[in-house]
Amino acid sequence: MVMTADVKETSSGVSAQKATRDIYLPPARKKITGGGTPHIVAREFSIYYSEFEAVKKVSADILSKYVTAIIGPSGCGKSTFLRSINRMNDLIPNCHTTGALLFDGQDIYGKYTDEVLLRKKVGMVFQKPNPFPKSIFDNIAYGPRLHGVSDKKTLADIVERSLRKAALWDEVCDRLDKNALGLSGGQQQRLCVARTLAVEPEVLLLDEPTSALDPKATAKIEDLIQELRGSYTIMIVTHNMQQASRVSDYTMFFYEGVLVEHASTAQLFTNPKDSMTEDYITGRFS
Amino acid sequence: MSERPVHELIRELSQVLVQLSDKVLENFFHALHAIKHQDEQSARQIRLVDEEIDIAEVNLEERCLAFLALQQPVARDLRTIVTIIKINDDLERIGDLAVHIIDRMPEISPGMLDSFDFENMGVHAGEMVKKSIQAFISKDRTLADQVCALDEEIDVMHRSIFKRVTMLMKSPDSPVDELIATLSISRYIERMADHATMIAREVIYLVTGEIVRHQEGFYDKLIESLKE
Repeated sequence: MVMTADVKETSSGVSAQKATRDIYLPPARKKITGGGTPHIVAREFSIYYSEFEAVKKVSADILSKYVTAIIGPSGCGKSTFLRSINRMNDLIPNCHTTGALLFDGQDIYGKYTDEVLLRKKVGMVFQKPNPFPKSIFDNIAYGPRLHGVSDKKTLADIVERSLRKAALWDEVCDRLDKNALGLSGGQQQRLCVARTLAVEPEVLLLDEPTSALDPKATAKIEDLIQELRGSYTIMIVTHNMQQASRVSDYTMFFYEGVLVEHASTAQLFTNPKDSMTEDYITGRFS
Repeated sequence: MSERPVHELIRELSQVLVQLSDKVLENFFHALHAIKHQDEQSARQIRLVDEEIDIAEVNLEERCLAFLALQQPVARDLRTIVTIIKINDDLERIGDLAVHIIDRMPEISPGMLDSFDFENMGVHAGEMVKKSIQAFISKDRTLADQVCALDEEIDVMHRSIFKRVTMLMKSPDSPVDELIATLSISRYIERMADHATMIAREVIYLVTGEIVRHQEGFYDKLIESLKE
């Protein structure tokens, strides 16, 4: 319980404390300084696969530097929505959108949006670790090189900084020239996070990042999310509701393409406002 | 959709709690009856039952803690388990109050007890516990509010006994020890009503997710809402 106290001087000179109750935040989730402004804004945003409306008129503000989890049953549109934020859906034939989806106030689907620049700022990590069949160093340096960095010292600095941020440096610093495919699954996934961080994104999209990992590797990724929280806006799609409640500040519940509820994670997992959310998270869904 | 095993387990834990409340209430009424009739045999039985209540309380708490650890409930399921743990604690304390009442037996005469309407006060407090448990079973916010409002009636009864005992004590030949024991019994019944109120407030949390303890003006708002 976070308690604050208004201290007042009374006429007798004795200070009287009136205790007031503040909003409870779990100890691991500290308030973020410099965050909390709408970073990604959706307004009446729909995604269609041909005629099928996979995401239906979603309106939401994703706050900067906080972690937002997206939950919902399979086929509810959560991954589709996530992938739309860095336009991964562009690769799917007949996929189109209506409404507005803004990143830093700029229309993601605007006529003049540079997808390459967008994907630099909005990085993505997928369900299955997908390192390139190259050395650990080259995996991390791949993005910066693509964006024109060629100086060896600069690249080495980026590689070290990214691997440190992804909590992988200590495990791989003596074998940077070894093939990344030789790493364990958990290490490979953190490598993918490091590879994303190397191009200095503002947003990290994580699409079920631990579903292929064992509990130990999952814990490392979850710890990593907590470490990165406050520096990046993070969105994570997960089927593991305990994971959503452990790592996120806000949770969005999707059902059949509709954003049913979007609330603070503490609120959504203790006292959801929508009965459909309640039924889903308590396993009463028919 | 048929009930999932996890929800059957919550229902089972709720039933165990309701059974415990029946046992606690029965023991409390037996205590009031035993002290009125100076029934030593019943008093021994009441102590034995209280030991059973203590064991049942620990067992239920252990099952709830295991449920929290293993099932990691959320939302209504989480609130139900937390509420069961808290009500369980209240019931155990009511069980202790029954024993406290019979502990006063050697200090008080049936004549003194007859001159105070403890039976009526006990029935009122018992009704509050019954209603609070009924509110838990039916997740009934209105009934829980009613229980909270009833607490004032018991407080009035207790204050009236307090005043009368104070007045009697002023008499030079007053049986002070016996009057203190009398006041204690009134206090135990009043405490039981307080526990019923706490149970009702826990039910309000279960239903709404709102913690209404320590809220300024809660009682005034409650009376207003009941009038409406």
